[in-house]
Amino acid sequence: MTTLLYTTCLGLFCMLAEVLNLRKLLIPAVILGLSAIFVVNMQQWGITTPASIGSVSLSHMVKMDNFAIAFSGLAIVISILIFVLAANYYKDDQNHISDYLSIMVFVLCGALVMFSYNNMAMLFLGIEILSISLYIMAGSRRFDTRSNESGMKYFLMGAFASGFLLFGIALIYGASGTFELEGITKYIAAGEVAPMFYLGVTLLLFAMLFKVSAVPFHFWSPDVYEGAPALITAFMSTLVKVAAFAALYRLFSHCLGGTMYYVEPLLIIVTGATIIVGNVTALSQINVKRILAYSGIAHAGYMLLGVLSSQTNAASSVFFYAAAYAIATVGLFALAIMTFKSNFSENVDAFNGLAKKNPVAAALISIFMLSLAGIPPFAGFLGKYYIFSEAIRNGYVTLTLFAVINSIIAVYYYLKVIIAMYSQPANDKPMVVHPTYMVVAIICAAATIGLTLVPDMLMQILK
Amino acid sequence: MSTSIDYLALAVQFMVAAGFVVTTMVATHLIGPKRKTADKLENFECGIESKGNARIPFSIKYFLIAILFVMFDVEVIFMYPWAVNFRELGQIGFMEMLFFTGTLLLGFLYILKKGALKWH
Amino acid sequence: MSLYLFLTLAILTIISALAVVFSKNPMYSVLWLIVCFFTIAGHYVLLNAQFLAIVHLIVYAGAIMVLFLFVVMLLNLNADTEPHKSNLSKIASAIAAGLFFVVLIASIRATALGEFNLPNKTNIGFVEEVGKKLFTDFLLPFEISSVLFLSAMIGSVLLAKKEKK
Repeated sequence: MTTLLYTTCLGLFCMLAEVLNLRKLLIPAVILGLSAIFVVNMQQWGITTPASIGSVSLSHMVKMDNFAIAFSGLAIVISILIFVLAANYYKDDQNHISDYLSIMVFVLCGALVMFSYNNMAMLFLGIEILSISLYIMAGSRRFDTRSNESGMKYFLMGAFASGFLLFGIALIYGASGTFELEGITKYIAAGEVAPMFYLGVTLLLFAMLFKVSAVPFHFWSPDVYEGAPALITAFMSTLVKVAAFAALYRLFSHCLGGTMYYVEPLLIIVTGATIIVGNVTALSQINVKRILAYSGIAHAGYMLLGVLSSQTNAASSVFFYAAAYAIATVGLFALAIMTFKSNFSENVDAFNGLAKKNPVAAALISIFMLSLAGIPPFAGFLGKYYIFSEAIRNGYVTLTLFAVINSIIAVYYYLKVIIAMYSQPANDKPMVVHPTYMVVAIICAAATIGLTLVPDMLMQILK
Repeated sequence: MSTSIDYLALAVQFMVAAGFVVTTMVATHLIGPKRKTADKLENFECGIESKGNARIPFSIKYFLIAILFVMFDVEVIFMYPWAVNFRELGQIGFMEMLFFTGTLLLGFLYILKKGALKWH
Repeated sequence: MSLYLFLTLAILTIISALAVVFSKNPMYSVLWLIVCFFTIAGHYVLLNAQFLAIVHLIVYAGAIMVLFLFVVMLLNLNADTEPHKSNLSKIASAIAAGLFFVVLIASIRATALGEFNLPNKTNIGFVEEVGKKLFTDFLLPFEISSVLFLSAMIGSVLLAKKEKK
């Protein structure tokens, strides 16, 4: 609750900075502020004081349990890394810097609500704050038609998904008479579940699957990722994906667990389809942003395995997987933005001969790619291992086997970039290196390796 | 205790108002004499022959003002249920509303600073 | 009496909603949408939710429709730029939407109505009751919605403001 309050204040500060002409101070101040919020967030660990404003209790709206605090911490760390990148990325766009930053802080606010919601109304508000801010950011490069297309497509599809979400919530309310997660759990446990309720759950699930870009609700994601400014693509494929997954997981672990037998067949089909469509379509892509979009879809499929296992407390596995995926992707984007800018191209051939031009960057990119592909000894491998073992413990052996085969297919397209870097001749365009990008990449690489050193600690935190 | 039936009078009045408009429009149309010629059906532009098309895309500035209006319109709507309960909600209710409007006031300052309401 | 009112309103709502979709001219679509919003406001009154009905009229039929008209005027309506959609996608979407409709009707029909206890008050939709709920139980969503407004404000200025170059 305090985390959310302070983050909102930080967003307001970004707006005020525009009014008071403090643009130069903005990025350092936001990074410092977020670091402070991270500390405040972590101090609440294990303390379960019910949220309230003055004498008005809010515990039926938000619940800052350890699940919410862990994911909030991860989201804040990702945001800090992205804001460090923003310093250089928006260097030439000082007029709009406070707009971009405040909207991105508001995206974080939406994500924080999605981690801690205890009421369907809050879930909806969280998703709307996150999405509406993102529609704007996706279209924020106004004179670039592809950015416009990206924003428009995302908005139209997202508005449709929000419609389904609301309809689902309305039907659930109509059947159970409550918005509160505990109330709905009690309603399911009481046994007399109305058919209308199941339809509501289905629609709610559709909307959430859209937000995590699971097949067959994934069509927006490659186009939106490709057209949006690269930094925003990084933001969408990390923070937003983590937020959507945490919200979906929370929905099933805190509320709709009793309907798992009903959604299970649907979820199994969607998981299988997401994994194979994401991986196979990525094979033929040449645009790196599109490859990462399809890879993001495939990773959504693996994380859906975690949602399937939500009845046996797979929260730690999902958290570990999300952290490994998000950190590797942020690092990858940091270096990819640098490469895109140097080569004026976003295709795989922009990476040609990078190993000769900048061996450090090439080595770091290889680490991130291998981590995403799930090759030991990086964090991505452990993440996959935990998710898969959780799924097998829940009896999804065939599906897990299928996922393993697909993650072998995935190695091909991750290697495509590595091969371009190491065995293709270099082009004559010099690599423009900026320290902030390298610093973020090095931090992410350290974390990608570091996470594997303390897996037991991370695996215990959400038990 | 009022129910929807109490609004019947309102509905009747609404129908009378709408009916009056429709009736007069239809009646004048039927009663008035009509001599249609090509010149008379032409769009009137100060007697000068019309050029081009009326359907030109118009300035986005109108849209910006309109969308900002909607935002503050919705804000004001929230004040109505608050004002009705002003006494019962007491000091806490006042602070709640102060926080809400304060946040949006910041937004308004921001809009002013950005010059979004300037016409030129 | 109430039933006939409801039926009339429901038929009007459906007709006007269909007219929105089938009108060739987008201007007419928008005007039919206004009729649709008015009939929906009528439904709110029948449900004894007066506050919602008025808000619906002021915000949707008033403000939002102006925005819709503006958007239509911003579009280039001269050229026949409407892309031709293939029949296959039309048929597929008709089948999908039809199936969804059938499931929706079936599941709502199968739900025995009156399963849960309605609060024993008739003034639930009145402005006092809405206010009491909004500023106590739903305080946090209310405050958080200001973030949504701010984000939308910044966004509209960011996307629509003319640049000084």
